[in-house]
Amino acid sequence: MNLNDIEVKSVTRRFEDTVAVDNVSMNVARGELFGLLGPNGAGKSTLTKMLCGMINPTSGTIKVGGYNIQDHPMKVKELLGVVPQDIVLYDYMNARENLAFFGKLYGLSGGKLRNRIEELLIFTQLDEKAVKRRISTYSGGMKRRINIAAALLHEPQVILLDEPTAGLDPKNKLALWEIIRTLNKEGKTIMLTTHMMDEAEELCNQVAIMDKGKIIALGSPRQLTKKVKMENTITILPDKITSKLMEATQKISGVKSSYRAYDESEKIETLKIITERAEDILPDLVSAISSVGTKILSVELSRVTLEDVFISLTGRSLREEEEQV
Amino acid sequence: MKLKRTIHQVFAIAKTDFLGITRNKTAIFFTLLFPLFFLIIIGFTFGTQGTGETSRIHVGTVNFDGEMIVVNNTDSQNSTIGDDFVQALKDANFTVYEYSTYGDKDTNGTAAYDISRGQIKIAIVIPANFTEALSYQYTDSLGTPIPTKASLDLYTDPSDPTGSLIAQQSVFGFIFGFIDHYQSIVIGQLPESFRDYAKVLADPVTVSTSEADVSGRQLRWIDYMVPGTLGLVLLWSGLNHASVAIADERAKGTFQRMIIAPVSSITVLAGKFVSCLAIVYLSAVIMLATGVLLFQVNLYWNIPAIVLTVFLGALSAIGLGLVISSLAKNVQAADAITHLITVPLQFFIGAFFPLSIMPEPAQIFGEALPFTKLVYAMQGIMTKNLPFEAVIPEILYMTISGLILFTLGIIAYRLSLKRL
Repeated sequence: MNLNDIEVKSVTRRFEDTVAVDNVSMNVARGELFGLLGPNGAGKSTLTKMLCGMINPTSGTIKVGGYNIQDHPMKVKELLGVVPQDIVLYDYMNARENLAFFGKLYGLSGGKLRNRIEELLIFTQLDEKAVKRRISTYSGGMKRRINIAAALLHEPQVILLDEPTAGLDPKNKLALWEIIRTLNKEGKTIMLTTHMMDEAEELCNQVAIMDKGKIIALGSPRQLTKKVKMENTITILPDKITSKLMEATQKISGVKSSYRAYDESEKIETLKIITERAEDILPDLVSAISSVGTKILSVELSRVTLEDVFISLTGRSLREEEEQV
Repeated sequence: MKLKRTIHQVFAIAKTDFLGITRNKTAIFFTLLFPLFFLIIIGFTFGTQGTGETSRIHVGTVNFDGEMIVVNNTDSQNSTIGDDFVQALKDANFTVYEYSTYGDKDTNGTAAYDISRGQIKIAIVIPANFTEALSYQYTDSLGTPIPTKASLDLYTDPSDPTGSLIAQQSVFGFIFGFIDHYQSIVIGQLPESFRDYAKVLADPVTVSTSEADVSGRQLRWIDYMVPGTLGLVLLWSGLNHASVAIADERAKGTFQRMIIAPVSSITVLAGKFVSCLAIVYLSAVIMLATGVLLFQVNLYWNIPAIVLTVFLGALSAIGLGLVISSLAKNVQAADAITHLITVPLQFFIGAFFPLSIMPEPAQIFGEALPFTKLVYAMQGIMTKNLPFEAVIPEILYMTISGLILFTLGIIAYRLSLKRL
C-alpha cells in the first residue's frame, strides 16, 4: 500500500482579500524527498505554516501521518520535525543547552534526552570544545547543523525543511545536501521548500512548483523537464574545427543547426550543436566527429532545467520574480 | 503523564527565558540592577533622614567676627562667640567649609562660588560685631549696655530647592539650639529673682516635636523606602521583562518554533509567567538584601504576606507587560512603550516621594495604580508591622486589578498568535 505521510486536499488560505494558497492538493508518499518550488510570494511559506499547524486553512484538509491537523494538532506536531529557514536558536546558550530545551518541548527527558543529544552532536560533527561555546560564537554552517539537529531530537517521521541552504557557501551547501540525503535514506519523509531549482533537481524525487498560490506542476524532475519541448545545446571543444567537421555534424539526424562560437573568456573556439534530443544524438555525434579525424577535448550538454519548466509554464523566470519581490 | 510533560515544558521555557536575562548584561542592568541603582542613589541621598544625620549637609561659614570694628569709639577685635558658633556647627556634625569672604559666583574660593557649583548648600555669614553684640559691649555714655542684636545672613542654593530646604531647616535647628544655650548663659548671670521671668520673656512659647510611634521602632526614611522599592521591582523587573518576553521571541523566531512543537500556547505563556515571576522575586530579594546590608533597615519579615503581596502585584505588572509584548509590532516598539510607561510611573507609586506632596490629579492617578497599593501594603507589613487584615483593602485592589490586567494580557497574547 502506498502510504502518504502528507496529504493536502483542496486547501485554500485567505488573508482578508488575498488568496495566499488557492485550492492546492498534493500528496507526499512515505520516504519521499519532496520539493516545493516557487518564487517568493508563491504561497510556499503559507502552505508550510499550515502543514506545521501555525495557521489553519480557510478551507480544505491537511493530514500528516494520517492525522488531520485540525483535529489532532498535537499528534501531528509530534510526527513533524520542522527546520526553519532562519537560524532559530538561543544564541546565549550552547549547543547542548539548545538541544536540551527543544528536546524537552517534545517531551524528552532524563537519559533518553541525554542520549539523543549526544547522538545528534555526533551527527552535527561539532567537537566538544565547540559544543560548550555559546551559539553566538558559531559559524553559519555550525549554526545551520544545530538548527537541523534541534528538529530531529524526537526522531520525527516527517521533516519539513524551509530553504535549508539559503545563505550557505557552496561547501556547506554540499555538506547539507549530504545530510538531507542521509536522513532520507534512513526512511524519513522530507519536504523541502526552496526557490533554488538546482537544489530541487539535485535532491528531490518529486517536486511541486507553486506560483500565485497554485500548484502549476507536479511530478518528478525528469517528468517535468520532459514535458517541456525545448532546444538543447551541445558545446564541443575539438582539437580543430574544419569544414568537413561542420558538414559531418549537420548531416546527423536530429541536429537542427551547428555553428562555430568563440568563447571570449576562455579564448577558445567551440562547436555548438542545436537539437531537441541532446542525449539521443550524442553517440552519433561522437562517431561523426571521429570519422573526420578530429579529437574531442570536451563536451558540454545544457539540459532543460526546472527553471526552464517554470519559464515555460509562467512566461517569467524565477530570477525576475525574485527581483520583483 | 500529560501533566508531568506540561510541567517539564513550562519549566524548560521558564529556565530558558531566565537564562536569557542572566546571560545578557543589558538585560541584567535594566531588569535587576536599575531599580537597585535607584535605591542606592536615593537611599544614600535621603535615606537616613529622621535620625538627625547632618554630616551630609555641607555648610559654608564666612566668619567676620574677628575683624576690627569700632565699639563705643574704641577699636575692638573679638571673635570668641563667632569662633564658638563655627566650632559648634562642626561639633553638631555638619560638614563645614570656612571662607574669608562671601564673594560672588565667579570668584573661586568664595562661598558664593561654591554655592553656585553645589559644593555647599547654605552659607552663613557671621557679622564682625557678633561677639561684641552678644556680650553686651555696646554701652551708652553712662556705661549702661545698649541692647544690640547679632544678625546672621544665610544664603541658599535656589537651583536645588529641596536640598536647600533640608539644609536650611537643619541650620535653623542648630541656630535655635545655639540661641537657647546663649540665653541660658545670659539669664544665669541675672539676679536669681529675675531669671524665671527672663526665661519666659526669652522663650514665651515652647514647642516640642516628637515622631508618633507607628512601628514600635525609631524609623528613618530608608525604612519606608526599601519596602516601597518593591513597587519599582514590579515595574522594572515584572513589567519591563514581560513586555519584551513574547515580542523578543517572536522577532527571533523562537516563539514560532515553540508553537510548532507539541506545546500548547498556554504552556508557553505559563513558562513565560513563571520566568517573569522568578525575576520579580529575585529582584525583590536583591532589593531587600541591599536595604538590610547597606542601609541596615529595620523591617518586619512576614514572609507569607510579602510573597503573596508581591505575587498579586506581579499579576498586574506581568499582565500589562503581556499586553504590550503581544500587541507591539516588534521588540523595539515594546521596549519603547514600556519605558514610556515605566519611567514616569515610578514617581507616582509613592516609592520615593509621598503622593501627599503631589498635586491632586497626580494623587488620584497614583492612588489608582495597583503598584501604589503594593507600596502601601509593603510599608504597612514590613515597616509598620501591621497585621495582614490591615492591608486587606490594598490586597483586594491588587487582586482585582491583577486579574483584569492578566486577563487582558491573555486576550492580547491570543490575538498575537493570529499574526504569526
